[in-house]
Order: sequence, then structure tokens, then C-alpha cells
Amino acid sequence: MKIKLRTLAGLAAGLTTLLAWGQVDSASRSVLKGAAVEYMYPEQVTVTAGKATDVALHFRVAQGLHINSHTPKEEFLIPTSFSIPDGSGVRLETANYPVGKEFSLPADPGNKLIVYTDEFVIQARIVAAPGNHLVEAKLHFQACDKEVCLPPKTIPVAIDVIGK
Amino acid sequence: MKRNTLVLSAVVFIFATFAWAGWANFEYRKQATERLLATATKGELVVDAAGMPEYVSPLKGKAAPPFALEDLSGKKVSLDSFKGKAVLVNFWATWCAPCKIETPWLVELRDQYAAHGFEILGVSTEGDGVGKDDKAAWDKDKAAITHSAQQMHMQYPVLIDGDSIADQYGGLDELPMSFFVDRTGTVVAVQMGLTSKADIEGDIKKALGN
Repeated sequence: MKIKLRTLAGLAAGLTTLLAWGQVDSASRSVLKGAAVEYMYPEQVTVTAGKATDVALHFRVAQGLHINSHTPKEEFLIPTSFSIPDGSGVRLETANYPVGKEFSLPADPGNKLIVYTDEFVIQARIVAAPGNHLVEAKLHFQACDKEVCLPPKTIPVAIDVIGK
Repeated sequence: MKRNTLVLSAVVFIFATFAWAGWANFEYRKQATERLLATATKGELVVDAAGMPEYVSPLKGKAAPPFALEDLSGKKVSLDSFKGKAVLVNFWATWCAPCKIETPWLVELRDQYAAHGFEILGVSTEGDGVGKDDKAAWDKDKAAITHSAQQMHMQYPVLIDGDSIADQYGGLDELPMSFFVDRTGTVVAVQMGLTSKADIEGDIKKALGN
């Protein structure tokens, strides 16, 4: 009787695992509806006015998605790029992008893409004029998952830059 | 003995709960999909009764929205001109890596089924909002599309400005996207994303009425 009970308990546990797997799988695809990339922080930085300052900008790519690095291997892929519009009181001197990591689509394992996933950081060297500047910088990227690509997108990167 | 009865009852109760939850989940998903199909203008990724993601398009079973777009030579090509043939309207983009994987399959399948009355329309959908009024950007897009089409040996008609018909085709928020249209102009199958050559071939046969 004990063995039978254990078998039943095992079956119940297996069923639970299967149900949980189904939920995870559907959740990983539902990300296509949300934001592919999100700006995390900093929301505010204080820099010395007129002096070039490095600021680390943190972004997060939604789970299950990847975006091309700043220097993708293939010419046809859209690189990730960061920019600050002219006339915002803050000038972007340089932007240093992470290298990215190799990634292959399961249907084409021999072809390595260079992508960003999860969290990544862009080191922006900025020069701010004196005063408080509400900068709306931009991040341009193109995201895909293993089977589908989303159209290229530009998201706002809002940073309050105080030049003292 | 009493303990065993209690444990057995608990296990039976758990199984009954799972069975009920599974049935309720199945009914809920079925009804949600039906509601979506009845009201949606855009396709949706839903979870089917087996818990797997499935693309549901409101266009399935309906007449394919008509369009007339320029090909790479500047000639207007309309979907109507292919009535009587089975047509795969394949939306793709130059920057879409999965599209680059499926295109060689499409080229092969088109060669294989052309004699049966099958054609592919490769509609480039760059998603950058570029219209003909911005000539420099339009020409740049067109050059990139031409380059890709040549590189991938796309012998079938390649049309540009798929963005202009995106709304009629459910938004085209994800690529690649394929609509399989039968000889009467009805959408018989829709595929979102990279599937497999066998899946595509299956839906081509459906469009051909095989």
C-alpha cells in the first residue's frame, strides 16, 4: 500500500511540475506585448559644469528577448545606439558600449550574433552647461526573441542632469 | 489503515482538484480565444488548451485584405492579380534575422509548388515609418531591400512599403509573418515568427487545396 501511495504522490508532483512548466512557457512569450528595453537608472546626476563626466546608464532587456549590440557582426542588423538631442544643455562626448555576448538562434546554430540580454550598461561621457537640465536622451534598438523580431524602436531615456 | 485511508483520500482530492482546474482552464482559454477572434483587429499570441503559445489572427477564414504595392522595379503589383492561385503573403524585413533563415525555405518551396499554381509575395516591412515623401530614406530602404533580395535569391515578387498595409494585416508587430491565401482569396492559415519548412509546406498545401 505504501508503494502505491508513493506512486500516486509522485504522479501528483509530476502533474504540478508540468502545469508550472506550461505557465513559464506562456509567460516567456507574453513579453512580446511589453517593453523590450527599459531604462533603469540613474534618474538624476550632478556633474561639474563644463567638465566631461562619465555616467553609467543602466538598461534592462526583457526576459526572453535580445537586442543587437552596438557593433553587430552582420551589416543588415540594426545596432543599439544612444544619443542626446542638441539643445538640451548636455552634450554627449562619447558613448562606450558593452561588447555584448554571442548568441545563436536555435534554427541557425552556426551563426553567432552579438547581443545584449538582461542588464547592460552604457558609459556616457557628457558635458553639461551650468543649471538643471531635464534631458530626454534616446536609445535606438531592435529586439528579437528566438523566433520573432520586433520593429526597430527608440525609447526615451529621461535624466535630470544638474551642472554645478 | 486509518492513516492510509486519509492519505489516499488526500491524493484523490488533489487529482480531482487538478482535473477540475485543467477543465476550467481549458474552457477559459477556449472562450477567451473565441472572444478575441470575434472582436480583435490585431492578431494575438494566446496560450492554447495544451498550454502552448499559438498565434491567433482575426483574418483567418476571411478574405485577404486587398493591396497594391510597388515591386523593386517600381511596378504596382496587386494581390487581386493572383486570384485563382494560392498565394503566400510573407511579411519580412531586411533587419530580421529569423526572416533570413526562412527565406531560403520559401525560395525552395516556391520552386517546388509554382507549377501547382502557387506564388509568394515577399512584402518588405521595415517598420521605420519611411514614406515616399522622404526620398533619401525611401531610396536607402529600397537599396537595402534590393540587396537582401538579391543576396537571398528571392525570385518571387518582392514588394516594398508593407508598413502601409500593416493595419489591414493585424498590425505586423512581429516578423516574419505569413498569410496563406487560397485560390478564392481567403486566408486559410497564418504563421507568426520562424516555424519550420515542414509547417510552411503544410500550409502551402492547405492554400492549394491539397
